[in-house]
Amino acid sequence: MADNGDLYPIAVLIDELKHDDVALRLGAIRRISTIALALGVERTRDELIPFLDESIDDEDEVLLALAEELGGFVDFVGGPQYGHLLLTPLETLAAVEETVVREKAVESTAKIGQLLAAQQIEDHYIPMVNRLSKGDWFTSRTSACGLYAPVYHLASQKTQDDLRALYATLCKDETPMVRRAAATNLAKLVSKLTKPHVVGEIFPLFSALAQDEQDSVRLLTVEGFISIAGVLTPEETKSMLLTILRSMCVDKSWRVRYMIAEKFVAVSKAVGNDIVKEELIHAFVQVLKDNEAEVRTAASTQVPGFSAMIEKDVVLREIMPCVRDLVADSSQHVRAALATEISGLAPILGKEHTIEHLLPLFLLLLKDEASEVRLNIISKLDKVNDVIGIELLSQSLLPAIVELAEDKQWRVRLAIIENIPLLASQLGVKFFDEKLGPLCMSWLGDCVFSIREAATINLRKLTEVFGYEWAKQSIIPKVLAMGQHSNYLYRMTTIFSLTTLSHVVSAEVLKDLIVPTINSLAADPIPNIRFNVAKSLEEVLPLLKKHGLVSLVQDPIKPSLVKLSEDSDMDVRFYANRALGVLAA
Amino acid sequence: MDLDSQIESLSKCITISENQVRDLCAKAREILIEESNVQRVAAPVTICGDIHGQFYDLMELFKVGGMCPETNYLFMGDFVDRGFYSVETFLLLLALKVRYPDRITLIRGNHESRQITQVYGFYDECLRKYGSVNVWRYCCDIFDYLSLSAIIDDRVFCVHGGLSPSINTLDQIRIIDRKQEVPHDGAMCDLLWSDPEDIEGWGLSPRGAGYLFGGDIVGQFVHANKLDLIARAHQLVMEGYKLMFKDTIVTVWSAPNYCYRCGNVAAILELDENLKSNYKIFEAAPQDARGLPAKKPAPEYFL
Repeated sequence: MADNGDLYPIAVLIDELKHDDVALRLGAIRRISTIALALGVERTRDELIPFLDESIDDEDEVLLALAEELGGFVDFVGGPQYGHLLLTPLETLAAVEETVVREKAVESTAKIGQLLAAQQIEDHYIPMVNRLSKGDWFTSRTSACGLYAPVYHLASQKTQDDLRALYATLCKDETPMVRRAAATNLAKLVSKLTKPHVVGEIFPLFSALAQDEQDSVRLLTVEGFISIAGVLTPEETKSMLLTILRSMCVDKSWRVRYMIAEKFVAVSKAVGNDIVKEELIHAFVQVLKDNEAEVRTAASTQVPGFSAMIEKDVVLREIMPCVRDLVADSSQHVRAALATEISGLAPILGKEHTIEHLLPLFLLLLKDEASEVRLNIISKLDKVNDVIGIELLSQSLLPAIVELAEDKQWRVRLAIIENIPLLASQLGVKFFDEKLGPLCMSWLGDCVFSIREAATINLRKLTEVFGYEWAKQSIIPKVLAMGQHSNYLYRMTTIFSLTTLSHVVSAEVLKDLIVPTINSLAADPIPNIRFNVAKSLEEVLPLLKKHGLVSLVQDPIKPSLVKLSEDSDMDVRFYANRALGVLAA
Repeated sequence: MDLDSQIESLSKCITISENQVRDLCAKAREILIEESNVQRVAAPVTICGDIHGQFYDLMELFKVGGMCPETNYLFMGDFVDRGFYSVETFLLLLALKVRYPDRITLIRGNHESRQITQVYGFYDECLRKYGSVNVWRYCCDIFDYLSLSAIIDDRVFCVHGGLSPSINTLDQIRIIDRKQEVPHDGAMCDLLWSDPEDIEGWGLSPRGAGYLFGGDIVGQFVHANKLDLIARAHQLVMEGYKLMFKDTIVTVWSAPNYCYRCGNVAAILELDENLKSNYKIFEAAPQDARGLPAKKPAPEYFL
């Protein structure tokens, strides 16, 4: 193939396709579209595709890449009218042992299938589905399950009848792997079928799968349940699906109950309000009280969604007692899941009930021994704020928040800091100064660097809320005092705070307090402080120009930077010179 | 400036190219070759123990202690092996060393060795991530240049393992020719392998290399060299750090939840400008702060 000089690199690529080294073969497959482009559509069809088909690799890594590339190969063989040619190599790939390769091949095949014309479907795609569905090995039959739904609507009436019949055999396959694939793909197929077909043909298959002897099959039928229920009327759902649903909720395998619990809201929506009221409240209470922590965790995530579908007094009577138990659950994962979701109950219950029923639970969760639980509840408090208002929230929860602000887990402290500007804007200056001011200052001296950093950003946000007069009175003196700390890491906080604040304060504060303090630290004995002074001055320079304080640039900033640029430490010299560059610009 | 972008990329746990590793190692070599076997370090500095390729926990360490160059660091070896990200961990530390040589000090641990890395993961990781062993070779060549110990303001001696029966004074360490693979015995081996133990004098180490040494040995060494403290790493401590022998020696361990399963906390030791010590405890990075490790294990043909 290398007779044409221009094609030389292509010849190399083709050689690499056969190379002993897997990495080279993999690289060549990744560039297979380049090869195809160079060969042109005709030679790609006549030579490359047959070559790929014949010399199918034995390395899964290479096969996976090939399966993926072929999915986007239609244009390289000359467009959809030749797309069916790609089905041959993909059919082989869909039958290999390695699951990821097969899944990718199915995905690519489905993608191509949707581009084909009706005649190509009948002549090429459907026969392929037939062969795979009747394959000797479970691998090809498993793959076949995913190929029905994508093209069903493109097939003729007659073929559709055949397809449904064939899918039925897959649902009844002797291998659980195939039944699992059939159960997984059932929901997609249902969405393509007419109602009589769903009721007459699919429902019995679904019903069998839902009662399969293998729990790994049963647990995959939840999606199918939802899509079938979507097709049926409430009355039909009641008569056909209710028994199945009931047995799923009490299945002896916890994995099945987990799947139901995880999708409880979706299932409830699919079956409609009447069944929810008559049947599912009890079932939901059951999964909330399940013996397995995994099931209770999954059920906890559904509490607000499900509660929104039923009457408020029913929530209070039936659901809330369970929630109370879950707050004290022995599993930390259950409590963590609940802590994330419980605030979603506030809008449903309304102000009065939130105060009466939810606030005590929040307090318990805020004091939970697991930091993950505390973190989850804090980060969702804004929802409660919308319902009961910041005043009540802060009155009842502030003591707990203050306690958490000193939590030994620094990420909990961080979550509190991030909520402070929100609290501040709603509490007002006086209340804030009284209750939270000292905390905000103590974070500046926190032992964790990230907390000190977050605390400086917090100061800037607070100044944006309360104005720079407030900052000048309340914050800046304390920040300045920290510049005298005996540990360099804390003196650095002063530089960071002042640099951040310089963006939001007045020219006067900048001139009288910020620049002199930063500048005084230029004589610090520790080089880390000195180069951070240089970095800070670099950031403050444009602000001085903006505020008409150019005189400060000439004195004291420039002499300071010049002195730092001759420092004995090379990092100090580096940052001083960089700042001088900005100054000169 | 190229170096800054490499640091940025490595800080996100993204590897740099093989050629960049080669150039980085060449630059690191020029800096490390100048360092003493007992590298002098000025306080303030934050002392860290074993990291073992736990990249996201190293990031957690920086979140607690501050990023380099803002905070000065001294890492006492065992950057690689066992964790999922030895490549990114070591290259990040090395890139920081090249960018800020006065802000970060790296000394050698027993895992910075050709033999050990072939058994405990670093070799395989390089092969998996680069498809060749070149990066492993570049790194191992740099390991030979890493200093053996450090001394902070003439008062705090830092070493990966511990003391050696053939070493009484720091000057005896200074004359070792360190630019070689870690030997199986002798002073250099002992510094990287030994452990303190509640015994009198010297004892055989169950590790098969180095020695066990008692409080009396530490006392003599501290006295002879006018030290306040010996800081070392090398041994898992569930509480993150452990002082022994009337606070004359401390083990600092900086790999939280070691091997992603031990359940231990980690520690760093902050020495301020007055050599006041301050231990900081931290836990493993939470799951959402971690990238997922490559889902598929290394393909057979790479191993």
